[in-house]
Amino acid sequence: MVSGDVVTDSMDRSSRLRRHITIDADLAQLADIRAAVREVASTCEAPADCVSDLVQAVDEAATNIIRYGYRGEPGSIDMTAELVGDDIVITLSDEAPTFDPTAAEPPDLSIAPQHRRPGGMGIHLMRLSTDSMEHRVRPGGGNILTLTRSRVRRPKEG
Amino acid sequence: MAMQTTVERVEAGVPVTVMALSGELDASNYLRLVDDVRPLYDSGARNLLLDLTDLSFISSSGLVSLYSILKVMQGEEPPDPEYGWSALHSMERDVEDGKKQDVVRLCGMQPAVGDVLQRTGIDAMFPSYPDRETALAAY
Repeated sequence: MVSGDVVTDSMDRSSRLRRHITIDADLAQLADIRAAVREVASTCEAPADCVSDLVQAVDEAATNIIRYGYRGEPGSIDMTAELVGDDIVITLSDEAPTFDPTAAEPPDLSIAPQHRRPGGMGIHLMRLSTDSMEHRVRPGGGNILTLTRSRVRRPKEG
Repeated sequence: MAMQTTVERVEAGVPVTVMALSGELDASNYLRLVDDVRPLYDSGARNLLLDLTDLSFISSSGLVSLYSILKVMQGEEPPDPEYGWSALHSMERDVEDGKKQDVVRLCGMQPAVGDVLQRTGIDAMFPSYPDRETALAAY
């Protein structure tokens, strides 16, 4: 099941725009959450590279929540996307066991691949496609992950 | 959006199997893609060209399927896809050993897809061409 709503307030000159969607913790619903991100980023007049970065980051985050958070158990993911100044701020909220992707070790691309720490390719992509990632434990259980990406400049590589 | 694949056999000096991917390659369908390639190898395909012109999205799971497809085309068993980076190690070792593979080639990557391959270093592992025509001319 997918549910959502769009609230736009054209009267507010600080350009607040907000989109909310809830998806089941099911890999088959990743396409719906990506479509919602695309829609909101386009409404924010974000350039193509910003839209695809946000789609990437949210897809990788939601995939991790479904696979390694809920692990096949039923659950849901709430996504809120909001334009704050020139930042698009996306919050993913779940009720899965605590997992902090921001604490995962980044792969060191300067060393030979066979000596790198395994895992974390999706998290690596999340880092490169956002300006910041912040994790909080959700009161009552679960996780709140906030991804921020400027719509006017690309995040630093590396 | 679901992902569709279409397969075509082309004579380009050598026989080339062209598989065109259309849609989005993510965690929900990346294993199916590997399953689609197995029967091609089993029926004798040895040069695979993946046409990514109509692929609008690839996730890290999709990168694992590209690697697994390569293993299948090399006649090996793909690794457990759960391993992520480590699943790519043996392949990168092959590249470092000078065994640059050319059994799986890519063409027509959109910028968003190309970014993902470049950001993970996977771009160095596959010969890649701007479009199908150029790719076929290179065989």
